[in-house]
Amino acid sequence: MTSKRIDNHPVLGKLSDKEKITFQFDGKTYEGYENDTIASALLANGIRTLRKHENTGNPRGIYCNIGHCFECRVTVDHQSNIRACLTPIQENMIVESGQVQPHPLHPDNDTEAIRTYEDFEQWEEE
Amino acid sequence: MKKTDVVIIGAGPAGLSAAIECKKHDVDVIVVDEFPKPGGRMLGQLHQEPNGEWWNGIKETDILMEKAEELNTTIECGIAVHHIETLPDGGYTVHTNKERFAAENVLIATGAAEVAAPIPGWTLPGVMSIGAAQVMTNVHRVKAGEKGIVVGVNVLSAAIARELQLAGIDLHSMALPAKNAVSEEQAHPQKVMDGLVRIAHLAPSKFIQFGSKFAKNSFVRNIATKFFPKGGVKMWGMPIHVRKAVTKINGTEKVESVTMVDVTTDGEIVPNTEQHIDVDFVCIAGGLYPLAELAAAVGLPFQYSEELGGHVPLHNEAMETNVAGIYVAGNITGIESAKVARAQGKAAGLSIVKNTTEQNVTAALQDALHEVRETRQAASIQFHPRIEEGRSAINTSFQNKATN
Amino acid sequence: MEDFVVCRCEEVSLKELEETAEKYDCSARELKLRTRAGMGFCGGRTCRPAVDKVLTDITGEEPTDAVPLKVAPPVRPISLSGLGGESSDK
Repeated sequence: MTSKRIDNHPVLGKLSDKEKITFQFDGKTYEGYENDTIASALLANGIRTLRKHENTGNPRGIYCNIGHCFECRVTVDHQSNIRACLTPIQENMIVESGQVQPHPLHPDNDTEAIRTYEDFEQWEEE
Repeated sequence: MKKTDVVIIGAGPAGLSAAIECKKHDVDVIVVDEFPKPGGRMLGQLHQEPNGEWWNGIKETDILMEKAEELNTTIECGIAVHHIETLPDGGYTVHTNKERFAAENVLIATGAAEVAAPIPGWTLPGVMSIGAAQVMTNVHRVKAGEKGIVVGVNVLSAAIARELQLAGIDLHSMALPAKNAVSEEQAHPQKVMDGLVRIAHLAPSKFIQFGSKFAKNSFVRNIATKFFPKGGVKMWGMPIHVRKAVTKINGTEKVESVTMVDVTTDGEIVPNTEQHIDVDFVCIAGGLYPLAELAAAVGLPFQYSEELGGHVPLHNEAMETNVAGIYVAGNITGIESAKVARAQGKAAGLSIVKNTTEQNVTAALQDALHEVRETRQAASIQFHPRIEEGRSAINTSFQNKATN
Repeated sequence: MEDFVVCRCEEVSLKELEETAEKYDCSARELKLRTRAGMGFCGGRTCRPAVDKVLTDITGEEPTDAVPLKVAPPVRPISLSGLGGESSDK
């Protein structure tokens, strides 16, 4: 696999030697460099999907990469909603992606739940 | 709670140069920024000026940081401000995700955010804003992907496309987003051409440079849009299409390809011209707008300005706002270049010194204002042709509000 | 034209905006409240210009000088412990 890093740049020069850092993402171990953000380290490892949309489960990755859109939010060492694009990786960091959340009003979940006004009127009559 | 004279929100060119001016005059500051490194969006910039010199954001940031460090300036990165609280007896408390800061003055230099140009499939992993690609490439030195395409043809996206090429990234082309309820400006070939003409003088191709002189005439531009080559105009070997648009981004778990069509001079899809292009990343470029949420949170009055890119907090040339102790500088005041932001920051710093100390900095402030105007005039890339009018209108509104 | 998401955080599509506007014949502000467009995790930062453009087209309301969809702090998502304490903790 060709390197996903820009080791040599005609104007910015060569990437200096950096300390390697090991971290985990969804249970797997990855390697990045000092000063990588979680997002850049994962991208350098070929990983784009950082979470699933809480309702729809649609895969999401970075969009703005500067902390505005919050698409890249992950759980870091048990703290949720941390922006992967703003957080430098640290040795042994444990990163987890967000998954679909149970929806209280989802039809599959509670068939007895009162979801609409009609449901309520019916329940009141009973 | 940390106390200081000024809290500066944003460690970009505006925030840093303001901090330097303040510290030079013994006004204490704390600069905060949510990005892990200082330099703001200037950090990722890299382009060639018409004279051939490179504008290198990393170098420019280093220059500012060196001055700031010489003056023992406190700069704290990784801090996100979520509120500026106005205290009843004067002064402000700046609330962040780490701690609170107290100061009599606050400079809001939070820059800009990107305007989205949504098309079907734009939420797939692999689709990112054009700015995201710039940061990934020049700041993190990680490739955005193996092969990409830029959707949205404007001054910013052309500059960044060049940066991606420079870094050895394979770009198929640049094209418009398909016309939809959101993308009108970006999807209209004529309007896009108007924008392109403003940067044509930077093109290495003599033909395009030559053409740009004539293209100032709208009649000529109309002809140019009509006869725009099907293969696009190549800037640096990569086709830039003004008569092709991307209608959809395809893929199930991530970007796999895009669908591109030919469009008429009005941006209407020409039937039966669909082509599929395999890419693994897509950059969306809809332009920039001032990120003024904190200015709104602290109660600054606003004005909508097309020339400046969106809603702008009222302010004067000296970067003062209608609320005592609150200053603004940089892209939050209107979209311009990093050089202008830097000059504005200097002016803002001197304004703060003038208003909060006994020091006579009148002449220095006048020089700083002059520098802003000169920097604006000398800009090789102008984000909007009527920027001066926009600036003037905001100044007038500020004055009106101030005297009422 | 194929439907697309306008507000990424709440996955509100253009069709949903148009249908809701037609069903309730409401103002731009009400449309945002009903669909949650612009009210997701990012605070409208990503979609505000797009949502405003769509709403101007749908409702005919011209943009005003005031920042649309009143911006209220906190302008970054913050945990309750983050609001209460002097320093962040778990």
